[in-house]
Amino acid sequence: MTNEHRQRASAEDRETQDSSAIVFEGVTKRYGDGTVAVESLDLTLPAGELTVLVGPSGCGKTTTLRMINRLETLSAGRLLIGERDVMSVDATRLRRQIGYVMQHSGLFPHKTIADNIAVVPRLLGWDKKRLRERVAELVEMVGLDEALAARYPHQLSGGQQQRVGLARALAADPPILLMDEPFAAVDPIVRARLQTEFLDLQRRVQKTIVMVTHDIDEAMKLGDRVAIFAQGGRLARFDTPARILSTPASDFVVDFIGADRELRRLALERLDSLELDAGLTAPRDEIVARARSYLQQAGSSGIVVLDEHRAPLGWLDWDTLKQADDRARIDSLALKPWRHRLYLHDNLRSALNALISAPGEVMPVLNAQGRYVGVIDQLQLTGRLT
Amino acid sequence: MNWGWVASNTHQITAALLQHVQLVGLSLLFGFLIAFPLALLAVRWPRLYGPSLAVTGVMFTIPSLALFILLMPFTGLSMATSLIGLTLYTLLILFRNIVQGLRGVSPSVREAARALGYTRARRLFAVELPIALPVIVAGIRIAAVTIIGMVTVTALIGQGGLGQLFITGFTLSFTTPLIVGFVLSVALAVAVDLALVAVLYWLTPWQRGIR
Repeated sequence: MTNEHRQRASAEDRETQDSSAIVFEGVTKRYGDGTVAVESLDLTLPAGELTVLVGPSGCGKTTTLRMINRLETLSAGRLLIGERDVMSVDATRLRRQIGYVMQHSGLFPHKTIADNIAVVPRLLGWDKKRLRERVAELVEMVGLDEALAARYPHQLSGGQQQRVGLARALAADPPILLMDEPFAAVDPIVRARLQTEFLDLQRRVQKTIVMVTHDIDEAMKLGDRVAIFAQGGRLARFDTPARILSTPASDFVVDFIGADRELRRLALERLDSLELDAGLTAPRDEIVARARSYLQQAGSSGIVVLDEHRAPLGWLDWDTLKQADDRARIDSLALKPWRHRLYLHDNLRSALNALISAPGEVMPVLNAQGRYVGVIDQLQLTGRLT
Repeated sequence: MNWGWVASNTHQITAALLQHVQLVGLSLLFGFLIAFPLALLAVRWPRLYGPSLAVTGVMFTIPSLALFILLMPFTGLSMATSLIGLTLYTLLILFRNIVQGLRGVSPSVREAARALGYTRARRLFAVELPIALPVIVAGIRIAAVTIIGMVTVTALIGQGGLGQLFITGFTLSFTTPLIVGFVLSVALAVAVDLALVAVLYWLTPWQRGIR
């Protein structure tokens, strides 16, 4: 949102901006036929955070989402956005202040991409100039090609349509964004990209986001907090992904997050949170005799050879070194390169993955500039598992 | 074919053509005005669909001549008689196509409109109707062509548009008016149909290249 937009926002808009926490107080949803979708739910979704609602099908997660913008009516309890009870606000007005992204983009087939994006601002009566500027801004924000703005939805790929859906939801800069399985209908490769880009976007816009998914991996990857629902609309767990994985607290949650939760936990920790071993290194122009003595002193099975920019060239093991000529430069020997590159911002799961194929059972870790900062070995990683 | 007759009766021929167009246009208009609200009700309350379809269907099956004779005691040999009759014939086609068009709007589009804060009326006019338009226009095309043919029957009650020419030809045992009436009636049907196709094309830029 540009400053100009912010200034023009009405007093009411500003109010919701400051207090966009979503509070469920004993919320129950019962359908006419007696089925209970959500059972006296107490839950506070903090403002500016991304909360993921996850659970098996029929657990009431989608109903919970849809009650926030009154696509479903509550049977009992109260649902507050900030201080406002949603049932006391006009439903249409409420919905225009809450972004909504659906599984199948739900784009209007008879409107161009630009007009699809402009739907809510138009309902709110923005003038033409402001509309056009906002659409251009959003097209860029969600990473769409400008040329697509004049096309119709059926001319776009599934991934592109989902981007338009997101742009449409963000158009009037609502403080709250609801997303119903937004990435479920696209193929896994596109999904992973959309997820990453979406996280970047959230870091910039800092909305209060509620997302529904049935994919626990997606929940753990995207959520600041994750609410796990059990059948019958009960809340089984509500916490940060790291805490859920380290202390699942109930058999249902353990079952739901799956047997490989230890591995999932590794995926949440980054290499820069570890104290890396400095490791044994030598510059490429070192001679064999000196390298041999380093190795013997350190009692190591090999040495990381670095180039002039301190980028790792390869692993030099004792067997190779032993047979070499004393005066030879070590970079003339057969160095074993690493197939993967590991950076400080990578997670421990990728590190474990890289280690499996690493020569010499250690993996060099690089900083963002690609320079060597230390090594990690299997022992260090298994130490992080419980 | 006697061109001399055509030349000396242009006035009568033009008048017949204009009346024909008028009857077709008005009966389509009235038909739409009745079928549209009926279709909205049937979409909103699906239980109404069956009975509405049955009633309009029965009207469609009444032989046209019988229908005009049935109406005569009430409205006599007036334009109202032919208009009422023709309007009733458009109802089934228009009603069924408007309902089908509106039902064809995908649930996710409907849901999106609701979730983004469209009011019910705006959802209907800005989202559902435009998307239903191709199916609705298809109905209007069939109704128009059907009615253009049927107007000639109303000549029997003295309100027949080009049908008047058939009567003239028949009573005088003279083929020229018959040919003129026939050619103009077919040309009118083709022209109206093409015009409707053109209007639809112009109104639905988003449909181009789909089929």
